[in-house]
Amino acid sequence: MLDWLKGKQETPETAVVRIQRFNPDVDEKPYLEEFEVAVTEDKTLLNVLHDIKTMTDGSLSYRRSCRHAICGSCSMNINGMNKLVCHQRLKDNLDWKGRVTIRPLPYLPIIKDLVVDRSSFWEQYERVKPWLVPSDNLPEKEFRMTPEEVEALRNAETCIMCGACYSACPVVSMNKKYIGPHALLKSFQRVMDPRDTIPGERLADVGTDEGVYRCHTIFNCIDACPKGLDPAGAIETLRKLAQKREAFAAARAERQKA
Amino acid sequence: MYTSTGFISFVLRRFTGVALVIYLFIHMWVIGSAIQGPEVFDARLGMVQSTFFKFAEIALLAAVVYHTVDGIRIMIVHWFGVTQYRKSLFYAAIAVSALLVIAGGIPLLLFALESM
Repeated sequence: MLDWLKGKQETPETAVVRIQRFNPDVDEKPYLEEFEVAVTEDKTLLNVLHDIKTMTDGSLSYRRSCRHAICGSCSMNINGMNKLVCHQRLKDNLDWKGRVTIRPLPYLPIIKDLVVDRSSFWEQYERVKPWLVPSDNLPEKEFRMTPEEVEALRNAETCIMCGACYSACPVVSMNKKYIGPHALLKSFQRVMDPRDTIPGERLADVGTDEGVYRCHTIFNCIDACPKGLDPAGAIETLRKLAQKREAFAAARAERQKA
Repeated sequence: MYTSTGFISFVLRRFTGVALVIYLFIHMWVIGSAIQGPEVFDARLGMVQSTFFKFAEIALLAAVVYHTVDGIRIMIVHWFGVTQYRKSLFYAAIAVSALLVIAGGIPLLLFALESM
């Protein structure tokens, strides 16, 4: 009774893992395949996939690399929400029937099983010139930043490019020309960086109907981000700055002279 | 499909928005007939004074109210950047919409029932 009040539940001994399978050479459409796995206290969903691949079905395909929630390779759709499977325990993701459903990232073309084609994700990323464009005349002293600017950059620089926000965005599903929350967050980071010399050009690039004005403020990007970042907030800031981009760019140029 | 409070609000906003545009055209078709004479105007007005349309007015009220309140919610996020309150604001928008629809819907419902 006390456990129930605390929301604590007995961990089942086994769980049913439903994995979306699709082999374009054989299957007409994706289907769910069930696997029964043992539940242990610290087993992650990536461990589960690894166990299935090594011991049950070697044809299962998925991406993974670091296992420490920093490479961004293993983002998948878990029970309808985008998450990093290396960062999710099996027991925490079981529904009341003791099941967990793993699907590939939504709205992206499936290559095989849980592997999706992220080409559009990277194309949009490259489109916003994610690199820093510093001045040719570097100052002798360091660039000074306000605490507010540091806080703004902190919102963006911990992005691991996992694609969870991009594939959670319904606007992306409807319009492949939309830059997407991941690239707009990176653009925000560069615009806010006092070392960058082309904030006006960046704001002109993203201040279009394929950029910040295409966002419908659905907030799925915030809900999906495994790092707790705020792409929607960054898009709001870019919208405001895009309306005064020439003044913002002039102020940046003046500041860099000083 | 990626379901979340944001997605639900987006679908409702789109659905009510499209419904209101369709209503606007029907509304202009009825009211605009006034320039074609009283017979045409009365005929068209008579078509939309059936019991069905009186019940449909409650749905129209719900669409107008939700679309307005959700628009205000989006403007609050735009102006104040309060993305951390996104879910609370959505629930607040639903609650305020429900209250207004109930308050306005009861007289409309009684009016519709009278015509049956």
